[in-house]
Amino acid sequence: MDAVKLMKELRVNYEQEASYLPKETGLSLIESTVQGDSRISAKCRDAKVEDLWSLTSFFDYTTQTFVLAVNLLDRFLAMMRIQPKHLSCISLSCLHMAAKVTEEECNLTPTDELIRIGQCRFTVSDLCRMEKIVAEKLNFKSKAVTALTFLHLYHQITASYCTDKETLSLDKLEAQLKACLCRISFSKAKPSVLALSLLKQEVEAIQSEDMLEITHHIQRHLKQIADSELLLWGERVARCLSEYASPECSKPNHRKLQWIVSRRTAQNLHSHRTAPELPTIPEGCWDESEDDSCEDTMSSGEESLSSSLGSDAEGPYFPLRL
Amino acid sequence: MSTISASEKVDGFTRKSVRKAQRQRKSQGSSQYRTQSAPVELSPLPQLKDTPSAEQQELFMQKLNQCCVLFDFLDSVTDLKSKEIKRATLNELVEYVSTYRGVLVESAYPDITNMICTNIFRALPPSDNPDFDPEEDEPTLEVSWPHMQLVYEFLLRFLENPDFQPSIAKRHIDQKFVLQLLELFDSEDPRERDFLKTILHRIYGKFLGLRAFIRKQINNIFLQFIYETEHFNGVAELLEILGSIINGFALPLKAEHKQFLMKVLIPLHTAKSLALFHAQLAYCVVQFLEKDPTLTEPVIRGLLKYWPKTCSQKEVMFLGEIEEILDVVEPTQFKKVQEPLFKQISKCVANAHFQVAERALYFWNNDYILSLIEENIDKILPIMFGSLYRISKEHWNPTIVALVYNVLKTLMEMNCTLFDELTSSYKAERQREKKKEQERDELWKKLDQFKLGNAPLVQNNSHSIPSVQNNNNNNNNSNNNESQEATSTPSNKDLAVTVEVEDSTPCAK
Repeated sequence: MDAVKLMKELRVNYEQEASYLPKETGLSLIESTVQGDSRISAKCRDAKVEDLWSLTSFFDYTTQTFVLAVNLLDRFLAMMRIQPKHLSCISLSCLHMAAKVTEEECNLTPTDELIRIGQCRFTVSDLCRMEKIVAEKLNFKSKAVTALTFLHLYHQITASYCTDKETLSLDKLEAQLKACLCRISFSKAKPSVLALSLLKQEVEAIQSEDMLEITHHIQRHLKQIADSELLLWGERVARCLSEYASPECSKPNHRKLQWIVSRRTAQNLHSHRTAPELPTIPEGCWDESEDDSCEDTMSSGEESLSSSLGSDAEGPYFPLRL
Repeated sequence: MSTISASEKVDGFTRKSVRKAQRQRKSQGSSQYRTQSAPVELSPLPQLKDTPSAEQQELFMQKLNQCCVLFDFLDSVTDLKSKEIKRATLNELVEYVSTYRGVLVESAYPDITNMICTNIFRALPPSDNPDFDPEEDEPTLEVSWPHMQLVYEFLLRFLENPDFQPSIAKRHIDQKFVLQLLELFDSEDPRERDFLKTILHRIYGKFLGLRAFIRKQINNIFLQFIYETEHFNGVAELLEILGSIINGFALPLKAEHKQFLMKVLIPLHTAKSLALFHAQLAYCVVQFLEKDPTLTEPVIRGLLKYWPKTCSQKEVMFLGEIEEILDVVEPTQFKKVQEPLFKQISKCVANAHFQVAERALYFWNNDYILSLIEENIDKILPIMFGSLYRISKEHWNPTIVALVYNVLKTLMEMNCTLFDELTSSYKAERQREKKKEQERDELWKKLDQFKLGNAPLVQNNSHSIPSVQNNNNNNNNSNNNESQEATSTPSNKDLAVTVEVEDSTPCAK
């Protein structure tokens, strides 16, 4: 696609993006909610989005599906007051809806498998009902313009202008976008701005003057992106990415996962590790007997009575003293 | 044996159950009893408790001697009265040794040990069932157990009596005694082996001079079992005793003990009947590692060397043992073995046998193992990633797929950057392979086209396809003649080719 066409498409998307933004007030409400309330908190939502990412990755769905699903989820959460117990049903519906839009029919995972792997408690019919509700509330606007749309466009524009030996890795950018989307604060950013911040980050990292020039060009083309806005989001993105790239691992939350095994394996797991019945025999023990009942029978021979064997004191075998 | 009709056979072989039903149980006579010329009748003696203490010692000896008479239990009708007298006497002796003090005078030791030896030391009868499968079949129990049990009980009480003096007893409980005792461990009767286990444990504890000998003999038994006979019924019991011995090893560990671990215990894992004693064996191995953690690397490498390749039941056992070892491993030792170990685990999770895969995946439910993986995620994740990703798409068992999800999710949370990198490189690799396959397909299609379009040429020119391609542009007729000539001299193919080429070049002009 030539550069002119790309720029045109960029403009078109830019004009549409506002209609797919989740309500800012709604998002702020979630951010300010304390966990443990009857409402969804930011931590709740972030954890759910991470789950969505795991499922996306597991079922081989594209990043597009994931980004779209998060967009639908955020839009829905920003306008409706939701009880935390319904969150997994809602998030899974969003994922399924997004998959239906983006993926080929043959690659769609059936809903029962989705629910089974996601370890959810609700049924397929629950999921269908929830999908209808979400679709309705979002006015059936499923095909959203997201940060990924812009990211792809920016990438294509850069590639068409630059004949550099260095090319931007779209995979890397997508992964970084995914990392940002796992935090609710980034849903407040306009997709075009978020994508541009990511682009700028990467370009600065690889230190390509040409590409930097292109990002400025894009910014100028989309007149309403102010420097201050770009700077603000650029900082936040940088912080998020440095955490993402750090070698420190977060303690996995595996306790929430169910580990279901077959009956035979379960039996096997619990059958072993029995306590040993025979008491320990210390090596090379030449200890003097502490038991006074044996003192008079102790010989001065090489063998010392090791009645320190606790075994002799157990059960009915121990003779009664007379 | 009656013949079995063809319809009863499965795959042409007789079913095991049919064969077993046919085998008639022959009653065995033991040569032990044929030496007794005349049937001995026991006359009842007065009770010890009713005897004044001055005479008790003498009566005690008499009763011991009485019990040296052996009775044939295979014959269920003879000597019933005498058998009962002996049983009651034995019972009485057990009580006497347990409740009274001052019973074990020096002069009593020979008679006591003599009675015991006479009763228990015997050649074990050959197994009724030559195909005895310890896991499936009922064991043949010792018929004279009503008496035998009491003799064993008596021996145990004797050893545990507070007046017992190893310095006196060692004249009778010597190496020969121990050797005979060890042979009895091959008994099919589990009750007998259970007694023997406790008895040998006490002997090892009390007779320091016999310890080295006992260890050596057990060594020999195991080595014979592993490398020669693959038959011994008492492996589990001996291992249980060894467990309590290993537990008591002094540090630093003697070289002899380390040798035992590597040369006997590890190879013991290769036995066919591992299931019968695996729990005890694993306990011994773990005890060794708790005593000396530097043994971790050789132990794990040893297990990996003997890793079962075709027996899934054994593989599950090995995995259980690895988990027990990892539970106690030190992080520095873990680093030395993590790569070969996880390469094996990565194969196990992809195993088509669902129990093996399950057991391997369940490692990720172990907190301590997770912490070890987390510390070394940069080495471990690349090893595991490929097979986990593959089986998430390909495995037939839905439970396994769900467990794989758990594992992948756990790993992802440990280091998402690395995970993402591996995901994208894995996908890229798959794309490349797909492309290669497509190219291969295309090539075959192209070759197919050639075959269809140029059938006559190919027939005559089977040696050299390149020249076919060249000749396509040239005058076909002249080349046809020449190529026919060429093929008529099959002895020198090279020559034929050269002829072709030489002749075709002028045409090419």
